Amino acid sequence: MSGRVLEAGLHLLDRQLIDSNGRLAGKVDDLELEVPSGGGPPVLTAILAGPGALSRRIGGRLGAWLEAVANRLRGGDDRRPARVSFGVVKGIGSAVDLSVPRVDLETDRLEAWTRDHLIGHLPGAGHAPE
Amino acid sequence: MRRLFSVALGILTAIGGFVDIGDIVANSETGARFGMSLAWVVVVGVIGICLFAEMAGRVATVSGRAVFDLVRERLGARMALVNLVASFFITFLTLAAEIGGVALAIELATSVNYLLWVPIVAFLVWLVVWRVKFDVMENAFGLLGLALVVAAVALWRLGPDWGGLLHGATHPVVPQGEGHPTWWFFGIALLGAAMTPYEVFFFSSGAVEEGWSRGDLITNRLNVYIGFPLGGLLSLALMAGATLFLEPRGIEPGHLSQVALPTLLVLGKLGLAVLLVGFFAATFGAALETGLSCGYSIAQYFGFQWGKFVRPADAPRFHLVVLLSILAGAGLVLTTVDPITVTEYSIVLSAAALPLTYFPILVVANDPDYMGDKVNSRFTNALGSIYLLLLLVVAVATIPLMILTKAGS
Amino acid sequence: MRLSDLFGADVVDEAGRSAGHVHDVRLVQDGPLVGTFGASLRVDGLLVGRRSIGARLGYGRGQMHGPLLVKLAVGWLLHDGRYVDWGRVRTVEEDRILISGSVEDLPVPGPSS
Repeated sequence: MSGRVLEAGLHLLDRQLIDSNGRLAGKVDDLELEVPSGGGPPVLTAILAGPGALSRRIGGRLGAWLEAVANRLRGGDDRRPARVSFGVVKGIGSAVDLSVPRVDLETDRLEAWTRDHLIGHLPGAGHAPE
Repeated sequence: MRRLFSVALGILTAIGGFVDIGDIVANSETGARFGMSLAWVVVVGVIGICLFAEMAGRVATVSGRAVFDLVRERLGARMALVNLVASFFITFLTLAAEIGGVALAIELATSVNYLLWVPIVAFLVWLVVWRVKFDVMENAFGLLGLALVVAAVALWRLGPDWGGLLHGATHPVVPQGEGHPTWWFFGIALLGAAMTPYEVFFFSSGAVEEGWSRGDLITNRLNVYIGFPLGGLLSLALMAGATLFLEPRGIEPGHLSQVALPTLLVLGKLGLAVLLVGFFAATFGAALETGLSCGYSIAQYFGFQWGKFVRPADAPRFHLVVLLSILAGAGLVLTTVDPITVTEYSIVLSAAALPLTYFPILVVANDPDYMGDKVNSRFTNALGSIYLLLLLVVAVATIPLMILTKAGS
Repeated sequence: MRLSDLFGADVVDEAGRSAGHVHDVRLVQDGPLVGTFGASLRVDGLLVGRRSIGARLGYGRGQMHGPLLVKLAVGWLLHDGRYVDWGRVRTVEEDRILISGSVEDLPVPGPSS
């Protein structure tokens, strides 16, 4: 049997996602599995990131609270967690490298919202500090 | 030559940046009540912070990742969340204490009530975090903080009984009329003040902010091993000043002016002015560090972009967290709760939470996947393990002692 | 299905005996090709046993250098781990995974990397 062997909890979960520009794009909060149509063991199809994904991992009261906060922030649109397909993953090392910039990812929703509605309005937001 | 200059700058910044409102309050209050009998705790604390700051800096330098980032990878989402909640709360409390401390320092200089300064201080702290470059910020406030040396100068000019002071320091005996539990409680507070958790978050995140690489490992070690102990000496100077001036008069420093008393009496108004600059720089610098640390810990747990090395627009949630933390911290001070009390609680709770912060660092510093050949030496591991046991004992003892001694009153 | 659904589930055999809880999932990169990643990751089996904080911290791989105290403390937590090949999994329920055969003949996990 060829192919790299990994342990999900040890090598994949909670790892940092880094986009094609070196920017941080979230953590691997959970992983999506799909059983292939021809049967057989499940295959990882996507990385799930964001509060919607994390709440299920945490579980219990704390997770339920986190889920509620996340749903509030998302303003009621679809409740599924943000998905990063394995198709855009470049490699897995000490972090997970992606082949696309983070603006292309679903995980950027909250970040973009914060930028557009809050932080972006403050003077100097677009400039590097001096 | 340039290398020498940057090393010197790093060391001086480390000295000036070591002391914050927690150290000021802890050392003066301890000196006033127990003389030099708890000086050994400062030594233990300095060795501890040197050990773990070097480790955290090395981890960040070699792996390119800051501490909290790796805490979640190593402990898992759930345990790291507990860690985050505790660490964030304490760092936030410390931030509020520092903002209060800056306001108190300005009040001392201007005689205008500190509450009026709080909104201005909060705004200035946020402005510096927003606009000023990381290394400029660190160097400016670190060097200004060196003004605190005047407290040591005042001590020198006084020509005190050095033998007596040294005797008190090397013979840790609980003074007459004080209880053992209270003595230990003050010791715990001193340890919490010297080994504050935010120092480690800030130090490791700072290494990434400044883009340290393997070539900087030696500089990192020099800054820590020379700078921090000298900073610790400044703390002891404050303790000695309180021992000589406040203890004989039975004054318990509940106000910053009493901490400044020794310097004022020996060096006059000029000495006081320099000391106030030092207080301002130390507390303002610490407010910047704790504000940023609030952002670092949350951003690094959830994985979103953090740091001053990117434009604010590229790290919006990080800056939002920092902004809200500063606002909330200022809000806490504006409820007119005594900033000194907030400081006391922040250092005691810090002591209780130290194992949470230091254990993951010790584990990560041993992982060859992150560290390559720069894993801990056997000596570092041995010392680190001893400290971890000590910190566990301290953590367990803190709350009961606090209740038993009614928080040292 | 989400991976977190598997974690912590109690693994029981036909007779109702428990082999412990799932504390990790072994993946092999030999599935269908996908995008820039190459072969996708296929679930190979489940690592079962007492919840192992030692393994989580990385001490299971044998490369960690210390500290000695921590290594000793987590050492005894690593024993009694078993490996469940995915082929033996019959159903996946909310908190339970039913496997074929008996929990007695589950092998010890081999080294992963």
